[in-house]
Amino acid sequence: MPSTARPARTGPALRIAFGAAIALALLAALLAVRAASGALLPGLPAAAADLVTLSLSVFIESLPFVFLGIVCSTLVRVWVPERVIDRVLPRSPALRRAALSLVGVVMPVCECGNVPLARGLMMRGFSVAEAATFLLAAPILNPVTILTTYHAFGWDHGILIARIAGGFAVANLVGWLLSTHPEPGALLEPRFRAACGHEHAAPGGRLRRSLEGLAEETSALLPALVIGSALAGAIQVGVPRELLLVLGAHPLWSALALMALAFVISICSSVDAFFILSLGSTFMPGSIVAFLLFGAMMDLKMLALLRTTFRGRALAYLAAVVGLSCLVIGWGMNLVA
Amino acid sequence: MSRSTGSRLWIGPVLGMIGIAAVLWLAATGRLGWYIHPRYAAFTVTMCAVAALGLAGAASLLIERTRNGPGREADAGRAGGTVAASVDRHGRPARRARLAEQGGWLLVALACAGLLIAPPATLSTALAQQRQLAEGTSATSLPAAPGGPGTAPAEAAGDGDAADGDAPTVRDWAGMLRQNGGVALEGRRATISGFVLADGTDAGSAAAEFAVARFAVSCCAVDAQPVGVPVALAGWADRYAEGSWVRVAGVFVANPDPTSPNAVVLRPAEITEIDAPEDPYVY
Repeated sequence: MPSTARPARTGPALRIAFGAAIALALLAALLAVRAASGALLPGLPAAAADLVTLSLSVFIESLPFVFLGIVCSTLVRVWVPERVIDRVLPRSPALRRAALSLVGVVMPVCECGNVPLARGLMMRGFSVAEAATFLLAAPILNPVTILTTYHAFGWDHGILIARIAGGFAVANLVGWLLSTHPEPGALLEPRFRAACGHEHAAPGGRLRRSLEGLAEETSALLPALVIGSALAGAIQVGVPRELLLVLGAHPLWSALALMALAFVISICSSVDAFFILSLGSTFMPGSIVAFLLFGAMMDLKMLALLRTTFRGRALAYLAAVVGLSCLVIGWGMNLVA
Repeated sequence: MSRSTGSRLWIGPVLGMIGIAAVLWLAATGRLGWYIHPRYAAFTVTMCAVAALGLAGAASLLIERTRNGPGREADAGRAGGTVAASVDRHGRPARRARLAEQGGWLLVALACAGLLIAPPATLSTALAQQRQLAEGTSATSLPAAPGGPGTAPAEAAGDGDAADGDAPTVRDWAGMLRQNGGVALEGRRATISGFVLADGTDAGSAAAEFAVARFAVSCCAVDAQPVGVPVALAGWADRYAEGSWVRVAGVFVANPDPTSPNAVVLRPAEITEIDAPEDPYVY
């Protein structure tokens, strides 16, 4: 099926260089547009300007991580030999998932970078459950996040421990639930599922497949990132934060409120500890843990990115399970504390 | 991934290039800090440079394909059968794919407008009002710095006169004020600059104090949180508009107003109205 006429395997180096030169000329042209337009326009009204600034801030903050994730994903898909993966990972499914949830320790890419990586894992033949376990655990179980959380909270109230243990538990719970699904492929967006199916049959040299993968993955993820950033920016301007924060010190409501805040604000898991610390020290520890757990696994920007990979219904299910688990952990801690 | 669409794979590389151009230009003009914390600047620029090379390679591949004729568009060869089948089974004909593609180009236009055309800007001071906590304490509740609790930099350089350089920033002072209500600061002289922000105390005729505030950024502008130093000045609201920028020189004293949540305030000796600085955030 796949082998209808393809272009010649690799053109002469000259032709590739020519194409790349055209692309870099495009980049130069874009830079020129940027430099010229800066002085042309008058400033926008404050609210509109803030909307643009906040959206750009989310986009620019995430962009290098998405690029890094795509590079890592390409490495895993195209360059790591299958037998290496087979040799390293345990055979039992549960242990395999547990091992995958610790991959973030050696690959510290925060949550937006994990989406391309999880896609790469699935294209590589990993199961949906395994990829999801990695996806949810890696933003929390990685050295950068652990270090910043420690800086922000130290050992106070067990927040750090609860975040690490909770992240591991929730990710593996979701992985186990997904592994019981009779047809996990049905959870995936049809287009992405098809791309997974043909991955093994992909022809062409490694470099060529890498570049193709780059075009594919950026075309799938960057539009989603634009949508996610714009939504996150719009909600920041539209919804005053104190709406969420005045819910106060109730064990359940404050956990829910902080989870809603985490969802809306869509900041990176590696720095969210500082953010929540800066909002004041009046929150209950369990609510902070709910914020730190849920925000790292699910937020507006992540949903937009994940929608490229999972079907809407599967995503709702995923978000619900993660949300409930985080709420139970946070609420429980609040009641005990 | 429909056969009918040839330009779908261009969306990613073009969007990527737009983002890269915006980032590189902001970095070159020293404005990247308006959007993200400077500690990420090197990483961001490096990743963008790497991605630019990769996307240029991807683009050259796409150009080569186009030259080989749209009919032989690699999509047709790549899993065409599988995709068409699964797409059809779910009732998503090529029209849907075309729509998705058009939507993608619409997003490219949106990204162009936001990243390349709109003038770069820092957050408006109007947003600071919205981001205050209900109790009015947020302006002074931020920890000193992400270096850990209780970081009180430049304890010795306290009487610095400029707002920049090694002198304590608004954020540093706010952090020190948080410790024991700032009693240790009584008698210290300070010069700070920031925008005027009502700090939650009554702004009426008896208005006794306002905050000289700045946005503190810990990761990117999205998490910007106003931090401020309370300045005691009766009737300030008649003289200074909220959101306007001022430089205040003065000395920290015990707050004469017992109803205020701030135990220690800056008693101004001199207040100068200034223009908003080029780099308005504190990190």
